[in-house]
Amino acid sequence: MNAEQARREVGGVWEERRDGWWLAVPANLVPQVAAAMLRAEARFVTILAMPENDGLRVSWHWDVGGVLLSVAAHLSEGMLVPSIMDTYPGADWAERETRDYYAVAFEGRPDTPTLMLRDGDKPGVLLCKSGEKL
Amino acid sequence: MSYRIPMGPYHIALEEPYKIEVECEGEKIVGSSLKVGFNFRGIEWLAQKKNITQDIALLERVCGICSNVHSMSFCMTLERIGQIEVPLRGQYIRMVMAELERLHSHLLWAGVAAELIGFETLFMQIFRFRESVMDTLESISGNRVNYSMNRIGGVNRDIQDGAKVLAVAREIQNLTEHALIPLLTTDKSVRARCKGVGVLTKHDAIVYGAVGPVARASGIDTDIRRDQSYLAYDRVEFAVPVQTDGDVMSRVIVRALEILESCKIIEQCLDRMPEGGIHAGDIYSVAAGEAVMRIEAPRGEVFYYIASDGTDKPLRVKVRTPSFANIASVAAMVKGNNFADLPLIQAAVDPCYSCTDR
Repeated sequence: MNAEQARREVGGVWEERRDGWWLAVPANLVPQVAAAMLRAEARFVTILAMPENDGLRVSWHWDVGGVLLSVAAHLSEGMLVPSIMDTYPGADWAERETRDYYAVAFEGRPDTPTLMLRDGDKPGVLLCKSGEKL
Repeated sequence: MSYRIPMGPYHIALEEPYKIEVECEGEKIVGSSLKVGFNFRGIEWLAQKKNITQDIALLERVCGICSNVHSMSFCMTLERIGQIEVPLRGQYIRMVMAELERLHSHLLWAGVAAELIGFETLFMQIFRFRESVMDTLESISGNRVNYSMNRIGGVNRDIQDGAKVLAVAREIQNLTEHALIPLLTTDKSVRARCKGVGVLTKHDAIVYGAVGPVARASGIDTDIRRDQSYLAYDRVEFAVPVQTDGDVMSRVIVRALEILESCKIIEQCLDRMPEGGIHAGDIYSVAAGEAVMRIEAPRGEVFYYIASDGTDKPLRVKVRTPSFANIASVAAMVKGNNFADLPLIQAAVDPCYSCTDR
Protein backbone atom coordinates (compact mmCIF):
# COMPACT_ATOMS: atom_id res chain seq x y z
CA MET A 1 0.00 0.00 0.00
CA ASN A 2 1.08 3.59 -0.50
CA ALA A 3 0.65 6.35 2.07
CA GLU A 4 -2.75 7.41 0.74
CA GLN A 5 -4.08 3.85 0.90
CA ALA A 6 -2.62 3.51 4.40
CA ARG A 7 -4.45 6.66 5.53
CA ARG A 8 -7.69 5.22 4.11
CA GLU A 9 -7.02 1.90 5.88
CA VAL A 10 -6.70 3.76 9.19
CA GLY A 11 -9.64 6.09 8.48
CA GLY A 12 -10.37 9.47 10.09
CA VAL A 13 -9.65 13.02 8.96
CA TRP A 14 -5.94 13.49 8.28
CA GLU A 15 -4.24 16.88 8.23
CA GLU A 16 -1.33 17.50 5.86
CA ARG A 17 1.67 19.33 7.32
CA ARG A 18 5.14 20.09 6.01
CA ASP A 19 6.49 17.09 7.91
CA GLY A 20 3.82 14.59 6.84
CA TRP A 21 0.21 13.66 7.68
CA TRP A 22 -1.29 13.93 11.16
CA LEU A 23 -4.41 12.38 12.68
CA ALA A 24 -5.91 13.07 16.12
CA VAL A 25 -7.44 10.03 17.86
CA PRO A 26 -8.48 9.04 21.38
CA ALA A 27 -5.68 7.03 23.01
CA ASN A 28 -7.83 3.88 23.32
CA LEU A 29 -8.01 3.62 19.51
CA VAL A 30 -4.24 3.46 19.01
CA PRO A 31 -4.09 -0.39 18.93
CA GLN A 32 -6.66 -0.35 16.10
CA VAL A 33 -4.58 2.23 14.26
CA ALA A 34 -1.47 0.07 14.76
CA ALA A 35 -3.26 -2.98 13.35
CA ALA A 36 -4.35 -0.97 10.29
CA MET A 37 -0.80 0.35 9.87
CA LEU A 38 0.56 -3.20 9.92
CA ARG A 39 -1.92 -4.23 7.22
CA ALA A 40 -0.54 -1.33 5.19
CA GLU A 41 3.05 -2.60 5.85
CA ALA A 42 3.85 0.71 7.54
CA ARG A 43 7.29 0.78 9.19
CA PHE A 44 7.12 1.80 12.85
CA VAL A 45 9.21 4.93 13.49
CA THR A 46 8.84 6.11 17.08
CA ILE A 47 6.65 7.45 19.90
CA LEU A 48 6.91 11.09 20.95
CA ALA A 49 5.52 12.72 24.08
CA MET A 50 5.15 16.46 24.55
CA PRO A 51 3.59 18.44 27.45
CA GLU A 52 0.42 20.17 26.28
CA ASN A 53 -2.58 21.86 27.95
CA ASP A 54 -2.37 20.39 31.47
CA GLY A 55 -1.49 17.01 30.11
CA LEU A 56 0.57 15.31 27.46
CA ARG A 57 0.26 14.83 23.75
CA VAL A 58 1.60 11.42 22.75
CA SER A 59 2.11 10.67 19.08
CA TRP A 60 2.91 7.43 17.26
CA HIS A 61 4.77 7.68 13.95
CA TRP A 62 4.93 5.36 10.97
CA ASP A 63 6.57 5.50 7.56
CA VAL A 64 4.89 4.35 4.36
CA GLY A 65 6.96 4.75 1.20
CA GLY A 66 8.90 7.62 2.74
CA VAL A 67 5.79 9.50 3.92
CA LEU A 68 5.49 10.11 7.66
CA LEU A 69 2.08 9.24 9.14
CA SER A 70 1.62 10.56 12.70
CA VAL A 71 -1.24 9.74 15.03
CA ALA A 72 -1.61 11.87 18.16
CA ALA A 73 -3.66 11.47 21.34
CA HIS A 74 -4.11 13.89 24.23
CA LEU A 75 -3.62 12.38 27.68
CA SER A 76 -4.82 13.89 30.92
CA GLU A 77 -2.94 13.11 34.12
CA GLY A 78 -3.00 9.48 35.22
CA MET A 79 -4.50 8.22 31.97
CA LEU A 80 -3.38 4.79 30.79
CA VAL A 81 -2.27 4.28 27.22
CA PRO A 82 -2.72 0.93 25.48
CA SER A 83 0.53 -0.70 24.39
CA ILE A 84 1.07 -1.63 20.74
CA MET A 85 4.12 -3.84 21.28
CA ASP A 86 2.08 -6.97 20.49
CA THR A 87 1.58 -5.61 16.97
CA TYR A 88 4.86 -3.73 16.67
CA PRO A 89 7.63 -5.24 18.88
CA GLY A 90 9.75 -2.22 17.91
CA ALA A 91 7.41 -0.10 20.04
CA ASP A 92 8.66 -1.85 23.19
CA TRP A 93 11.72 0.39 23.65
CA ALA A 94 9.79 3.49 22.56
CA GLU A 95 7.10 2.83 25.20
CA ARG A 96 9.67 2.19 27.92
CA GLU A 97 11.55 5.37 27.00
CA THR A 98 8.30 7.37 27.04
CA ARG A 99 7.64 6.05 30.54
CA ASP A 100 11.21 6.97 31.60
CA TYR A 101 10.89 10.50 30.22
CA TYR A 102 7.25 11.44 30.93
CA ALA A 103 5.96 8.76 33.35
CA VAL A 104 3.36 7.60 30.81
CA ALA A 105 1.81 4.31 31.89
CA PHE A 106 1.25 1.76 29.12
CA GLU A 107 -1.25 -1.02 29.73
CA GLY A 108 -1.39 -4.45 28.13
CA ARG A 109 2.30 -5.16 28.65
CA PRO A 110 3.56 -7.85 31.04
CA ASP A 111 5.70 -5.14 32.65
CA THR A 112 7.37 -1.85 31.72
CA PRO A 113 11.00 -2.00 32.88
CA THR A 114 13.16 1.11 32.67
CA LEU A 115 15.11 1.58 29.45
CA MET A 116 17.40 4.55 30.00
CA LEU A 117 17.00 4.93 33.76
CA ARG A 118 18.31 2.57 36.41
CA ASP A 119 16.01 0.04 38.08
CA GLY A 120 14.14 1.82 40.85
CA ASP A 121 14.58 5.35 39.41
CA LYS A 122 11.44 7.47 39.46
CA PRO A 123 10.04 7.82 35.92
CA GLY A 124 9.45 11.27 34.39
CA VAL A 125 12.99 12.57 33.99
CA LEU A 126 12.00 15.19 31.40
CA LEU A 127 9.45 16.63 33.81
CA CYS A 128 12.19 17.41 36.34
CA LYS A 129 13.13 21.03 36.97
CA SER A 130 16.80 22.09 36.88
CA GLY A 131 18.62 20.94 39.99
CA GLU A 132 15.81 18.59 41.06
CA LYS A 133 16.94 15.03 41.83
CA LEU A 134 15.12 12.02 40.44
CA MET B 1 18.09 -28.29 28.33
CA SER B 2 18.68 -24.60 27.75
CA TYR B 3 21.13 -22.29 29.50
CA ARG B 4 21.61 -18.52 29.54
CA ILE B 5 24.81 -16.70 28.61
CA PRO B 6 25.18 -13.02 29.53
CA MET B 7 27.37 -10.86 27.31
CA GLY B 8 28.32 -7.35 28.38
CA PRO B 9 27.88 -4.64 29.43
CA TYR B 10 31.67 -4.78 28.87
CA HIS B 11 32.91 -7.30 26.35
CA ILE B 12 35.82 -7.63 23.94
CA ALA B 13 33.47 -7.62 20.92
CA LEU B 14 31.67 -4.46 22.05
CA GLU B 15 33.32 -1.06 21.98
CA GLU B 16 30.61 0.48 24.15
CA PRO B 17 28.54 -0.73 27.11
CA TYR B 18 25.52 -2.83 26.17
CA LYS B 19 24.19 -6.13 27.45
CA ILE B 20 22.64 -9.07 25.70
CA GLU B 21 21.64 -12.25 27.44
CA VAL B 22 21.03 -15.18 25.15
CA GLU B 23 19.26 -18.43 25.87
CA CYS B 24 20.94 -21.36 24.13
CA GLU B 25 20.10 -24.98 23.45
CA GLY B 26 23.47 -26.51 22.66
CA GLU B 27 25.16 -24.00 20.37
CA LYS B 28 21.87 -22.63 19.07
CA ILE B 29 20.37 -19.35 20.31
CA VAL B 30 16.66 -19.77 21.08
CA GLY B 31 15.96 -16.43 22.77
CA SER B 32 17.55 -13.20 23.90
CA SER B 33 17.03 -10.07 25.94
CA LEU B 34 18.83 -6.76 25.45
CA LYS B 35 19.69 -3.97 27.84
CA VAL B 36 20.80 -0.47 26.92
CA GLY B 37 20.95 2.83 28.79
CA PHE B 38 24.46 2.50 30.25
CA ASN B 39 25.49 5.70 28.43
CA PHE B 40 22.35 7.70 29.22
CA ARG B 41 23.27 11.40 29.41
CA GLY B 42 19.83 13.06 29.33
CA ILE B 43 20.61 15.01 26.16
CA GLU B 44 16.92 15.73 25.41
CA TRP B 45 16.52 17.20 28.91
CA LEU B 46 19.72 19.22 28.56
CA ALA B 47 18.66 20.54 25.13
CA GLN B 48 15.54 22.05 26.68
CA LYS B 49 17.65 23.93 29.26
CA LYS B 50 20.09 25.52 26.80
CA ASN B 51 19.61 27.97 23.96
CA ILE B 52 19.56 26.77 20.37
CA THR B 53 23.10 28.02 19.65
CA GLN B 54 24.45 25.98 22.58
CA ASP B 55 22.26 23.06 21.51
CA ILE B 56 24.06 22.76 18.17
CA ALA B 57 27.25 21.86 20.04
CA LEU B 58 25.35 19.63 22.48
CA LEU B 59 23.54 17.62 19.81
CA GLU B 60 26.72 17.19 17.80
CA ARG B 61 27.83 15.06 20.75
CA VAL B 62 24.98 12.57 20.48
CA CYS B 63 27.32 10.41 18.40
CA GLY B 64 31.06 10.31 17.78
CA ILE B 65 30.78 8.81 14.29
CA CYS B 66 27.80 10.64 12.79
CA SER B 67 28.18 13.85 14.79
CA ASN B 68 27.60 16.05 11.74
CA VAL B 69 24.21 14.55 10.96
CA HIS B 70 22.91 15.44 14.42
CA SER B 71 23.87 19.10 14.35
CA MET B 72 22.59 19.25 10.75
CA SER B 73 19.27 17.61 11.63
CA PHE B 74 18.82 19.96 14.60
CA CYS B 75 19.51 23.03 12.44
CA MET B 76 17.31 21.76 9.60
CA THR B 77 14.38 21.14 11.95
CA LEU B 78 14.65 24.73 13.20
CA GLU B 79 14.99 25.95 9.59
CA ARG B 80 11.77 24.09 8.76
CA ILE B 81 9.95 25.73 11.70
CA GLY B 82 11.31 29.19 10.86
CA GLN B 83 11.03 28.69 7.08
CA ILE B 84 14.68 29.70 6.73
CA GLU B 85 16.22 29.27 3.29
CA VAL B 86 19.78 27.93 3.20
CA PRO B 87 21.87 29.27 0.26
CA LEU B 88 22.42 26.60 -2.40
CA ARG B 89 26.19 26.51 -1.86
CA GLY B 90 25.57 25.89 1.86
CA GLN B 91 23.22 23.02 0.96
CA TYR B 92 25.86 21.39 -1.26
CA ILE B 93 28.51 21.78 1.45
CA ARG B 94 26.17 20.06 3.92
CA MET B 95 25.74 17.23 1.42
CA VAL B 96 29.50 16.82 0.95
CA MET B 97 29.96 16.67 4.73
CA ALA B 98 27.07 14.22 5.10
CA GLU B 99 28.43 11.90 2.40
CA LEU B 100 32.02 12.08 3.71
CA GLU B 101 30.60 11.16 7.10
CA ARG B 102 28.77 8.22 5.48
CA LEU B 103 32.05 7.07 3.90
CA HIS B 104 33.83 7.38 7.24
CA SER B 105 31.05 5.47 9.03
CA HIS B 106 30.71 2.69 6.44
CA LEU B 107 34.50 2.22 6.15
CA LEU B 108 34.81 2.09 9.94
CA TRP B 109 32.07 -0.53 10.01
CA ALA B 110 33.65 -2.55 7.16
CA GLY B 111 36.97 -2.53 9.02
CA VAL B 112 35.40 -3.70 12.28
CA ALA B 113 33.46 -6.41 10.42
CA ALA B 114 36.64 -7.57 8.65
CA GLU B 115 38.37 -7.89 12.01
CA LEU B 116 35.45 -9.84 13.51
CA ILE B 117 35.41 -12.15 10.51
CA GLY B 118 39.12 -12.74 11.14
CA PHE B 119 40.42 -10.92 8.04
CA GLU B 120 43.12 -8.71 9.62
CA THR B 121 44.73 -7.62 6.34
CA LEU B 122 41.46 -6.28 5.01
CA PHE B 123 40.85 -4.48 8.32
CA MET B 124 44.24 -2.70 7.96
CA GLN B 125 43.60 -1.73 4.34
CA ILE B 126 40.12 -0.37 5.04
CA PHE B 127 41.29 1.68 8.01
CA ARG B 128 44.07 3.17 5.89
CA PHE B 129 41.45 4.52 3.48
CA ARG B 130 39.16 5.59 6.28
CA GLU B 131 42.04 7.70 7.54
CA SER B 132 42.12 9.65 4.27
CA VAL B 133 38.41 10.45 4.73
CA MET B 134 39.11 11.65 8.27
CA ASP B 135 41.95 13.82 6.95
CA THR B 136 39.57 15.31 4.38
CA LEU B 137 36.94 16.08 7.00
CA GLU B 138 39.67 17.73 9.06
CA SER B 139 40.93 19.76 6.11
CA ILE B 140 37.40 21.13 5.49
CA SER B 141 36.31 21.72 9.06
CA GLY B 142 39.47 21.80 11.16
CA ASN B 143 38.20 18.88 13.24
CA ARG B 144 38.38 15.10 12.98
CA VAL B 145 35.29 14.19 15.00
CA ASN B 146 32.93 17.02 15.95
CA TYR B 147 33.17 19.20 12.86
CA SER B 148 31.21 22.28 14.02
CA MET B 149 30.16 22.87 10.44
CA ASN B 150 26.46 23.55 10.96
CA ARG B 151 24.68 26.71 12.00
CA ILE B 152 21.02 27.65 11.73
CA GLY B 153 20.62 28.75 8.12
CA GLY B 154 23.73 27.14 6.65
CA VAL B 155 27.31 26.16 7.40
CA ASN B 156 30.22 27.83 9.15
CA ARG B 157 33.00 27.04 6.67
CA ASP B 158 33.39 26.87 2.92
CA ILE B 159 35.19 24.09 1.06
CA GLN B 160 38.54 25.61 0.08
CA ASP B 161 40.11 22.73 -1.81
CA GLY B 162 37.45 20.85 -3.76
CA ALA B 163 40.08 19.05 -5.86
CA LYS B 164 41.49 17.35 -2.77
CA VAL B 165 38.04 16.18 -1.68
CA LEU B 166 37.36 14.88 -5.19
CA ALA B 167 40.66 12.97 -5.28
CA VAL B 168 39.84 11.20 -2.01
CA ALA B 169 36.30 10.34 -3.19
CA ARG B 170 37.75 8.83 -6.40
CA GLU B 171 40.37 6.91 -4.42
CA ILE B 172 37.70 5.41 -2.14
CA GLN B 173 35.48 4.63 -5.14
CA ASN B 174 38.37 2.84 -6.83
CA LEU B 175 39.23 0.84 -3.71
CA THR B 176 35.60 -0.15 -3.18
CA GLU B 177 35.02 -1.15 -6.80
CA HIS B 178 38.24 -3.07 -7.33
CA ALA B 179 39.11 -4.46 -3.92
CA LEU B 180 36.42 -4.16 -1.26
CA ILE B 181 33.38 -5.42 -3.18
CA PRO B 182 35.19 -8.31 -4.96
CA LEU B 183 36.78 -9.40 -1.66
CA LEU B 184 33.61 -9.15 0.40
CA THR B 185 31.44 -10.92 -2.15
CA THR B 186 33.73 -13.69 -3.40
CA ASP B 187 36.10 -14.54 -0.56
CA LYS B 188 35.20 -17.98 0.82
CA SER B 189 35.90 -17.05 4.46
CA VAL B 190 33.71 -13.96 4.27
CA ARG B 191 30.88 -15.85 2.59
CA ALA B 192 31.10 -18.69 5.11
CA ARG B 193 30.80 -16.24 8.01
CA CYS B 194 28.11 -13.99 6.49
CA LYS B 195 25.84 -15.90 4.11
CA GLY B 196 22.55 -16.96 5.69
CA VAL B 197 23.65 -15.66 9.11
CA GLY B 198 21.57 -13.29 11.26
CA VAL B 199 18.56 -13.10 8.95
CA LEU B 200 16.05 -10.29 9.54
CA THR B 201 12.95 -10.90 7.43
CA LYS B 202 11.17 -8.02 5.72
CA HIS B 203 8.21 -8.43 8.09
CA ASP B 204 10.47 -8.28 11.16
CA ALA B 205 12.26 -5.25 9.73
CA ILE B 206 8.87 -3.49 9.44
CA VAL B 207 7.57 -4.36 12.91
CA TYR B 208 10.88 -3.64 14.63
CA GLY B 209 11.15 -0.39 12.68
CA ALA B 210 14.58 -1.15 11.20
CA VAL B 211 16.12 1.69 9.21
CA GLY B 212 18.94 2.43 6.79
CA PRO B 213 21.24 -0.32 5.49
CA VAL B 214 19.66 -2.86 7.90
CA ALA B 215 16.18 -2.22 6.44
CA ARG B 216 17.46 -2.06 2.86
CA ALA B 217 19.26 -5.41 3.32
CA SER B 218 15.87 -6.90 4.29
CA GLY B 219 14.12 -5.75 1.12
CA ILE B 220 12.70 -2.41 2.30
CA ASP B 221 13.30 0.13 -0.45
CA THR B 222 13.66 3.23 1.70
CA ASP B 223 16.00 6.23 1.72
CA ILE B 224 14.91 9.60 3.06
CA ARG B 225 17.35 11.39 0.72
CA ARG B 226 15.26 10.13 -2.21
CA ASP B 227 11.80 9.67 -0.66
CA GLN B 228 11.56 13.03 1.15
CA SER B 229 14.35 14.84 -0.59
CA TYR B 230 16.10 17.58 1.41
CA LEU B 231 19.07 19.88 0.71
CA ALA B 232 19.92 19.42 -2.98
CA TYR B 233 19.61 15.63 -3.11
CA ASP B 234 16.95 16.01 -5.80
CA ARG B 235 19.59 17.67 -8.00
CA VAL B 236 22.01 14.74 -7.95
CA GLU B 237 21.70 11.20 -9.25
CA PHE B 238 22.23 8.25 -6.98
CA ALA B 239 20.90 4.72 -6.59
CA VAL B 240 19.46 3.15 -3.44
CA PRO B 241 20.94 -0.36 -3.08
CA VAL B 242 18.44 -2.93 -1.81
CA GLN B 243 19.01 -6.63 -1.07
CA THR B 244 16.37 -9.17 -0.14
CA ASP B 245 18.11 -11.97 1.81
CA GLY B 246 18.19 -10.01 5.08
CA ASP B 247 21.40 -11.70 6.26
CA VAL B 248 24.79 -10.33 7.31
CA MET B 249 26.04 -10.70 3.73
CA SER B 250 23.20 -8.50 2.45
CA ARG B 251 24.10 -5.80 5.00
CA VAL B 252 27.74 -6.02 3.86
CA ILE B 253 26.75 -5.62 0.21
CA VAL B 254 24.32 -2.75 0.83
CA ARG B 255 26.93 -0.73 2.73
CA ALA B 256 29.65 -1.45 0.15
CA LEU B 257 27.37 -0.28 -2.67
CA GLU B 258 26.40 2.79 -0.65
CA ILE B 259 30.08 3.76 -0.44
CA LEU B 260 30.10 3.95 -4.24
CA GLU B 261 26.91 6.04 -4.29
CA SER B 262 28.31 8.47 -1.71
CA CYS B 263 31.44 8.94 -3.84
CA LYS B 264 29.24 9.71 -6.86
CA ILE B 265 27.18 12.21 -4.84
CA ILE B 266 30.32 14.00 -3.59
CA GLU B 267 31.63 14.27 -7.16
CA GLN B 268 28.33 15.73 -8.41
CA CYS B 269 28.13 18.18 -5.50
CA LEU B 270 31.63 19.49 -6.15
CA ASP B 271 30.85 19.80 -9.84
CA ARG B 272 27.49 21.58 -9.43
CA MET B 273 28.17 23.72 -6.37
CA PRO B 274 27.53 27.36 -7.30
CA GLU B 275 29.47 30.34 -6.02
CA GLY B 276 27.74 32.38 -3.35
CA GLY B 277 26.92 32.59 0.33
CA ILE B 278 27.07 29.63 2.67
CA HIS B 279 24.62 30.75 5.36
CA ALA B 280 21.63 33.01 5.96
CA GLY B 281 23.20 35.28 8.58
CA ASP B 282 23.17 35.19 12.38
CA ILE B 283 20.02 33.48 13.68
CA TYR B 284 19.55 33.03 17.43
CA SER B 285 15.86 32.10 17.58
CA VAL B 286 13.08 30.95 15.27
CA ALA B 287 9.34 31.61 15.17
CA ALA B 288 6.97 29.64 17.38
CA GLY B 289 5.99 26.29 15.92
CA GLU B 290 6.86 22.63 15.78
CA ALA B 291 8.21 20.26 13.16
CA VAL B 292 9.55 16.80 12.54
CA MET B 293 12.62 16.40 10.33
CA ARG B 294 13.97 13.09 9.10
CA ILE B 295 17.47 12.78 7.66
CA GLU B 296 19.25 9.74 6.20
CA ALA B 297 22.24 9.26 8.52
CA PRO B 298 24.92 6.65 7.70
CA ARG B 299 23.12 4.10 9.90
CA GLY B 300 19.64 5.08 8.70
CA GLU B 301 16.85 7.52 9.36
CA VAL B 302 17.34 10.06 12.15
CA PHE B 303 14.09 11.51 13.54
CA TYR B 304 14.19 15.01 15.08
CA TYR B 305 11.25 16.83 16.59
CA ILE B 306 11.50 20.37 17.96
CA ALA B 307 8.81 22.58 19.48
CA SER B 308 9.61 26.28 19.75
CA ASP B 309 7.76 29.09 21.53
CA GLY B 310 9.70 31.74 19.60
CA THR B 311 12.37 32.26 22.28
CA ASP B 312 15.95 31.05 22.01
CA LYS B 313 15.21 27.96 24.17
CA PRO B 314 13.35 25.02 22.64
CA LEU B 315 10.28 23.70 24.42
CA ARG B 316 11.00 20.14 23.39
CA VAL B 317 13.74 18.34 21.49
CA LYS B 318 13.23 14.70 20.58
CA VAL B 319 15.95 12.61 18.96
CA ARG B 320 15.30 9.08 17.66
CA THR B 321 18.59 7.73 16.37
CA PRO B 322 18.92 4.93 13.80
CA SER B 323 20.70 2.63 16.24
CA PHE B 324 17.78 2.96 18.68
CA ALA B 325 15.58 1.52 15.94
CA ASN B 326 18.03 -1.11 14.70
CA ILE B 327 19.51 -2.58 17.89
CA ALA B 328 16.15 -3.90 19.14
CA SER B 329 15.89 -5.99 15.96
CA VAL B 330 18.98 -8.00 17.04
CA ALA B 331 16.53 -10.12 19.09
CA ALA B 332 14.91 -11.25 15.84
CA MET B 333 18.25 -11.69 14.03
CA VAL B 334 20.00 -13.97 16.53
CA LYS B 335 17.19 -16.50 16.97
CA GLY B 336 18.19 -19.89 15.51
CA ASN B 337 21.79 -18.83 14.94
CA ASN B 338 24.95 -20.29 16.47
CA PHE B 339 26.25 -18.57 19.57
CA ALA B 340 29.64 -18.08 17.86
CA ASP B 341 27.99 -15.81 15.27
CA LEU B 342 26.50 -13.48 17.88
CA PRO B 343 29.33 -10.85 17.82
CA LEU B 344 29.23 -10.65 14.02
CA ILE B 345 25.42 -10.40 13.90
CA GLN B 346 25.52 -7.54 16.39
CA ALA B 347 28.32 -5.82 14.48
CA ALA B 348 26.40 -6.17 11.21
CA VAL B 349 23.77 -3.81 12.61
CA ASP B 350 26.57 -1.22 12.97
CA PRO B 351 25.26 -0.38 16.42
CA CYS B 352 26.09 2.86 18.20
CA TYR B 353 25.28 2.77 21.90
CA SER B 354 26.21 6.39 22.45
CA CYS B 355 23.49 7.37 19.93
CA THR B 356 21.01 4.91 21.38
CA ASP B 357 21.41 6.07 24.95
CA ARG B 358 21.87 9.80 24.32
